Amino acid sequence: MSKLNETDIQGFVLRGYNLPFARYLFLHFEDASRARSLIARLLSHVTTGQRWDGGKPQSTVNIAFTHRGLQHLELPEATLLSFPVEFQQGMKHRAPILGDSGVNAPEHWDKVWREDRVHAWLGINGLTAEALDARCSALHAAMEETGGAAILASQDAAAVVRDGKPTTSEHFGYTDGFGNPDYLGVQRSSQPGQGKLLPDGTWAPLATGELLLGYADEAGELPVAPIPHLLGSNGTFMVYRKLHQNVATFRAYLDQQAALYPGGKEKLAAKFIGRWRDGTPLELSPDREDPAIVKDQIRNTAFTYGADPEGSRCPIGAHIRRVHPRDAFGFNGQLINRRRITRRGLPYGRFAPEDEPASDSEERGVIFMVLNASLPRQFEFVQQQWVQYGNDSRLGNDKDMLMGQHGGHGSFVVQGDRSPTNPPFVCTNLPDFVELRGGDYFFLPSITALGMIAKGLVDPR
Amino acid sequence: MPNKNGSVYGLTILSPIIEDPRATPSHDLQIRDYLAGLSTREDSPFALAPGTHLARLVVMDDVVYVGAPACEEHLKSKYLIFESNCDGDLDTYLSGLAATVPEHLDAIWRHCVGYPGAGNRKAFIDYMKACQLETTFFFAAVNNKTVTETLRALQTQTAVADFIAAHQGVEPAVLQREFIQFAAHLKSQPIPLPGSMGPHRTIETGGRNE
Amino acid sequence: MSNINGKVYAMNAITPMKPWKTWILRAAFFLLDHVKPMQKDLIDLSFIEFARWVVVPRKGLPFLGNGQQEEVLQYDYLLFFSNFNGTWNQYIDAFSAVLAKGLNLVWRWSEKFPGSVPVTLFKEYIARVQFDTDYYYTAYPHATANDVKSAHIVQLSLDSLSAVAGQSTPQQFADAWLTFVLEVQTHLGETGDAPIAG
Repeated sequence: MSKLNETDIQGFVLRGYNLPFARYLFLHFEDASRARSLIARLLSHVTTGQRWDGGKPQSTVNIAFTHRGLQHLELPEATLLSFPVEFQQGMKHRAPILGDSGVNAPEHWDKVWREDRVHAWLGINGLTAEALDARCSALHAAMEETGGAAILASQDAAAVVRDGKPTTSEHFGYTDGFGNPDYLGVQRSSQPGQGKLLPDGTWAPLATGELLLGYADEAGELPVAPIPHLLGSNGTFMVYRKLHQNVATFRAYLDQQAALYPGGKEKLAAKFIGRWRDGTPLELSPDREDPAIVKDQIRNTAFTYGADPEGSRCPIGAHIRRVHPRDAFGFNGQLINRRRITRRGLPYGRFAPEDEPASDSEERGVIFMVLNASLPRQFEFVQQQWVQYGNDSRLGNDKDMLMGQHGGHGSFVVQGDRSPTNPPFVCTNLPDFVELRGGDYFFLPSITALGMIAKGLVDPR
Repeated sequence: MPNKNGSVYGLTILSPIIEDPRATPSHDLQIRDYLAGLSTREDSPFALAPGTHLARLVVMDDVVYVGAPACEEHLKSKYLIFESNCDGDLDTYLSGLAATVPEHLDAIWRHCVGYPGAGNRKAFIDYMKACQLETTFFFAAVNNKTVTETLRALQTQTAVADFIAAHQGVEPAVLQREFIQFAAHLKSQPIPLPGSMGPHRTIETGGRNE
Repeated sequence: MSNINGKVYAMNAITPMKPWKTWILRAAFFLLDHVKPMQKDLIDLSFIEFARWVVVPRKGLPFLGNGQQEEVLQYDYLLFFSNFNGTWNQYIDAFSAVLAKGLNLVWRWSEKFPGSVPVTLFKEYIARVQFDTDYYYTAYPHATANDVKSAHIVQLSLDSLSAVAGQSTPQQFADAWLTFVLEVQTHLGETGDAPIAG
């Protein structure tokens, strides 16, 4: 396994920054040479994967491009055509495959995503709101001075603050932030439950090529990447999705169902996801929250489903079981090693505590970003086959309870056992708790590749 | 015996298609054209005749040349492949086809060499058997249920899921009474037609996969 | 023409084999048929409804006279017909990932087979030897192999419950009902349309 050059990889790919403030700028390039000058200027801002052994920076910057963005930067035709087809088409074009129809269809997206004008994503994270603003000012200045890009839209996001402290909570009240995979060479230490399952029951990191282009993937091949190699290596593909959350609908539905569910409201909420709202995995603690487990990195994601084939602890269709089946499909987990994704993102919109009213029409939700080497094999597959469909879990057409698009139909079965507080239970007439408001596919280049793009030196040989 | 797996029969028939340079369009294209217009749903000949789980018809133009150093060779005729996964006994199945949908069989197979027509039952069965290839290895996920049993079970599955959802927290005496009614009603329901899709979903997922 | 009907995909493939290798293949199939544990993985993969291999000896194509020309072939051929759930890519990825040895046992006797790992070369070979279905019928397009298996379990459990429902006291029935629901609780997925393949 080759050693990773962390100074060549954008930091956003290698780790979640855990900086509580973010702003995402969506850029449009009018003129290729001015845009290239801008990228050259931005290079000094871009945060690499170098470790922060001296402490967190005040703010970070990362950049990614849509295929049309790369076209507008006048990359050579042969290079443009060598990008994976899915990236070339873009997320809007692939809406039917992702099940982005009905209320999630592109015609309902935010204006910036309905039009095909987004060329680049600039992701800025900050330790404080002031640091974020300061960095953004510097970036604005660069854009002004070079005339390299217009800002089509800006999206703020921030960690939910509770009791004065930033948390990893999201708007439905769940604690997020578990379950990002380990990759060979990326993490310093492996967290049990995060990589791939070995026949002896231990966990090993996934092949680097599941995340980064230019490295062997789990199938012992190099993921499809653009030519020249130098453009693609150490880069990756990013999915950006703005997911609006219907908090009022969620709370009303949970209350209504909980009234009929003998296990109580918090347990039912836990059954939807597979973790209690504080993050305790149901599989490890089916009856109560357990802060000790949550805090323990070695334990909080170290479990398998082998002892729970009926789903009576963690329902078969619960979110985390759907998107990371672990050993649930047999074959020592080999069928899922190429279906893992890295998630980044933050909530957006005003957080409404439980005791305050919240309306579905208020702007709030989560900015959901996925990093993976292969869009069709990883993100699209999980979205199409495991979130919007259920055959692999033997759940027929049933969709993910919270993330699936139901339109008032469908059902979610909470498998149970004979205990009075854990009976089988069925939730029906599922509303759409989450709505897609837009997004696209981006290519996140290495530092070297950024330099090549900035200097117009991409040669497809 | 290899053609069977449990109660399911793996029928593989390769019928040589008539080579006639004077036919316009050629016989293989005529078959293709007819098949393109044939319904694959509840009015399919395989839905109307009994016993077909899954079946396909394929015009095989030629063998495949996999590239040097393999030798390139070609078939002298094209073949109509009929691959069927069906219930039970071969003679019964073929008779069922001939009895129920003779016009479709004739429209398709009249383009094949030596086809006697579905009107003559014995000749038809002999013809099919003359074109039959032995299935060397046959795998079936479910090998012990007929088409009718399968359709009935699928109907039951949907009905049961709905009944369970609608009867949560109902007290035992009422539950028992309503269950008995439900089971009786379900038993009396007609079996869904083979080849018909389940309840139409209102969410647009694009319909046919193409 | 479509290879797809509802949730099931009809794959057809033909590969040439040097006739002396056909005997080895027949032996391999004999083993597969009689050594049940070898079939276990195939069963566990659970997305194949029906699949078959047909060895066509070079003199084995039906010859009916009546003006038909007799075939003169060098190779024997292996025909493969599969009826599977999921997309083409998903199907081949899964086989390559977990059933590589079994696949190799069947196809290594075919000319120019590259092996089932690495998967990209394997997919190229399949694309080369696959030919398309003109007409595809299924009696249950809205159900996968998993759906069908689940449906049979539900039917069986329902029949058992029905048999005792009339003779139980309400309390006995309540117990039997819970047992029933626990038996079917992982088998209640809806059936319907398939996701769209890219």
